[in-house]
Amino acid sequence: MSAGTATATTDVVLRLVGESGEGTVSLGDLLVKMFGSMGLDIYTFQTFPAEIKGGTVMYQIRAKSGTTLSFGDAVDVLVALNDEGFDLFGKGLREDGILLYNSDVFTPSPSPGRTDYALPVTTLARAEKEAIRHLITGEALKRLPPPVNIIGLGALLRLVSAPLEPAERYIHDLFDRKGDEIVRMNISALHSGANYIEEKIGNKRTPHVSPMKRDHDIITVTGNQMIAYGALAAGLKFYAGYPITPATEVMEFIAKDIPAFGGEVVQAEDEIAAIGMVVGASYSGKKSMTASSGPGISLMVETINLAAQAEIPIVVVDVQRAGASTGMPTKTSQADLNLAIFGVHNESPRIVMAVASVEDCFWTMTQAFNLAEKYQCPVIVLSDQSLATRKSTIPPPDMSKVHQETRLLASPDERAGGFQRYKDTETGVSPMAIPGMAMGIYTSTGIEHDEHGDPGYTPELASKMKDKRFRKLETLQMTEADRYLKIWGDEGKVDVGIIAFGSTEGVIREATQRAQADGVKVAHMHLRLLNPLPINAIKEFAARCDNIIVPELNYTGQLANWLKINTDIEMIPFHKDEGIPFIPNDIYQMITSISA
Amino acid sequence: MAVATETLHAPKDYKSELKPVWCPGCGDYGVLSALYKAMSMCNLDPEKTVVVSGIGCSSRLPGFVQTYGFHGVHGRALPVATGIKMARPDLNVIVVGGDGDGYSIGGGHLPHCARRNPDITYVVMNNNIYGLTKGQVSPTSMVPLASLNAKIDPKRWKTTPFGMTEDALNPIALAIAMDVSFVARGFSYRPNQLSDIIAEGINHKGFALIDTFSPCPTFNQDQTDDFYKDHTYDIPEDHDPTDKIKAFALALATENYPVGVIYRNDNKHSVLDEQAYLRDRYHDNVDMDQIFARNLSYTVDTK
Repeated sequence: MSAGTATATTDVVLRLVGESGEGTVSLGDLLVKMFGSMGLDIYTFQTFPAEIKGGTVMYQIRAKSGTTLSFGDAVDVLVALNDEGFDLFGKGLREDGILLYNSDVFTPSPSPGRTDYALPVTTLARAEKEAIRHLITGEALKRLPPPVNIIGLGALLRLVSAPLEPAERYIHDLFDRKGDEIVRMNISALHSGANYIEEKIGNKRTPHVSPMKRDHDIITVTGNQMIAYGALAAGLKFYAGYPITPATEVMEFIAKDIPAFGGEVVQAEDEIAAIGMVVGASYSGKKSMTASSGPGISLMVETINLAAQAEIPIVVVDVQRAGASTGMPTKTSQADLNLAIFGVHNESPRIVMAVASVEDCFWTMTQAFNLAEKYQCPVIVLSDQSLATRKSTIPPPDMSKVHQETRLLASPDERAGGFQRYKDTETGVSPMAIPGMAMGIYTSTGIEHDEHGDPGYTPELASKMKDKRFRKLETLQMTEADRYLKIWGDEGKVDVGIIAFGSTEGVIREATQRAQADGVKVAHMHLRLLNPLPINAIKEFAARCDNIIVPELNYTGQLANWLKINTDIEMIPFHKDEGIPFIPNDIYQMITSISA
Repeated sequence: MAVATETLHAPKDYKSELKPVWCPGCGDYGVLSALYKAMSMCNLDPEKTVVVSGIGCSSRLPGFVQTYGFHGVHGRALPVATGIKMARPDLNVIVVGGDGDGYSIGGGHLPHCARRNPDITYVVMNNNIYGLTKGQVSPTSMVPLASLNAKIDPKRWKTTPFGMTEDALNPIALAIAMDVSFVARGFSYRPNQLSDIIAEGINHKGFALIDTFSPCPTFNQDQTDDFYKDHTYDIPEDHDPTDKIKAFALALATENYPVGVIYRNDNKHSVLDEQAYLRDRYHDNVDMDQIFARNLSYTVDTK
């Protein structure tokens, strides 16, 4: 929005910066809760230092009436809790933006056009605690932190003309069990922050956040959370993993609820053990998965190859982070596409998918399990740090739309008289037996084998069995690959086409809409399935584009290269690899420069 | 344990049609026979039994057994077996492999398998050498150290032509230290005793490690069948395997090696029981719609 226009439409971008571990994230989470409860559409971006304490954290929130597709370009309101954060992330603020800073900690140098609000957060919070000093005992008093975040929350809500009632309700929910004094202190702090700012606003222009009515319920969730929920909804029964940033939360969310579904989680000694357990569990008949990030996936590739060779369905989520080797563990990237597609010695068939939004994390995960089961092979699902930690407001997924596929099991007739576990079939998919089945005995193996699973090295056998395994990908490509993509933007001939994958979907959609408003004809194909590629759909799409841009967050243009190999169509690579996502303006400028 | 109730299985019933690919005189033949016999003694249901292995000469064994089998990647038999047993506690899970597979590349999994204590039986065919790659030293090789200016045959110890530069490890002592809940040593040239030990390991509720001397006649001319015949003895009948200190004393013997059950801890908890408890306690605790509802930020009713 443009600051100062008080309309019913809300579109405001807030950025919070401060010392990691000092409450910046908690304040951001509070704001997300408040705006969410007002019915607004939320999209966040968080970027962290790798350390638990120290370093600067940035939390950007966009709240909008109507669909929010990105965390926005320029920041309307910057909340700087320390000078380091201001120096590092201050330049994102629009020229006529608003700065709210903790005046107990620093004073920024003035800037023309910018409106500054000094808020002595620490002083105000201490005063609130001081006011109830006589009401509570020594130990409890010592343990009671001054309500710094509530002061900040009150100030911010007032600054954007948002109602305080949701915050009051929240304070009651959170503190009622802690006693009247604590509730009163926090309510008082909320108003103290709000009043302090109120006096300073005077007749200055401020953005407005207005509550919005919706006709359905909304949940506020992150990408990692929806990966976990999608897996549970798909029938996950066994998860093994090893902690790694930024994938760990997938395991945490699954661990919390999987016992209710009759499943289990193991924290393995390393990623190699984790993937080994996953393969063992799926061999024995249970839907199994793991999640990791680049370094962990690197350790898993040998066993992923085993799953492909032995034809065992598994799902492996790679929440990509930035940089080679340790790189930048808390930053984002899309540079593991090559690893997902090619990360294997020799060659073996695997399916590669990518999640496109918080909501899509859920649905793509259910599809990943279905494809793994259907084609009895590994499915690697790419997410990334920005999406993993992104909070979005979405309708709760409709469970009646979840379809659970299960692997093709050998019938008693197929098992009788010398069961062929690896039977060479038209689709490449062979009926499987699981331990415990009568007459289904076979040895599952990574060694080259005949249709019974017995080792064999003849040239004829080698060619026949490899062909059979790869045929599964051909079957997928021919029968259903076109289902796993979305096309946005204009129909018919367009000036600019965009082909992309992963977490960039919303940003590209927003940029596309902006260019369309300028009169540019733009279409955008967003791929969920990266291997095998939906070649026919891509070729059809390309045929109606004068130019095609392939934006992605990596250094070498991995998707552009992969598309080139598969389609031989000229496309314009557009990549950056800085550890942060695209903003809509990056893509919009690119579209404009191409269409001009 | 999944036992066949209607049929009685003879050792030969566990024999598959595949012929072993081992060299003549390989100790692994004796281990395989002992395994058939032990499975028969326990009357394991072949269709509810999985034999799991990694990579190496001895890791080819699953194919020679008429049960379900899993022949995976080098060093990862224990994680695969753990996954199978956790996902399907109703199955009998037996793991087989060599000293390189189990103590070198896969050595990092051993302590964690001990901590989890799943009900699986692990038979390590220890020949003190890498056989499949043709005669390199393994973590249990007893080749003299280079600094001793040992007179060794440089053609035989190809990757250590001047002698070893590392010490050998003691798998039995390690296993006791890790509190593997059943630790035994077998010898492939004492087949009857070995089948008894394996059967006891299968009957043990928890993780059982049976380190078995299984000489390699092709690449190890030092730790031969005769060497072990001369350097092994039966564990005294009065040994109490639940006495950890005494078990350590047996494990630390370096001249002669005791054969039999060295250590057992019948009171160790198991990951299987813990997981079963969680599944039971939280069964149907929540469904997907309730999980979504926990994250509600806006409800139509209250607006």
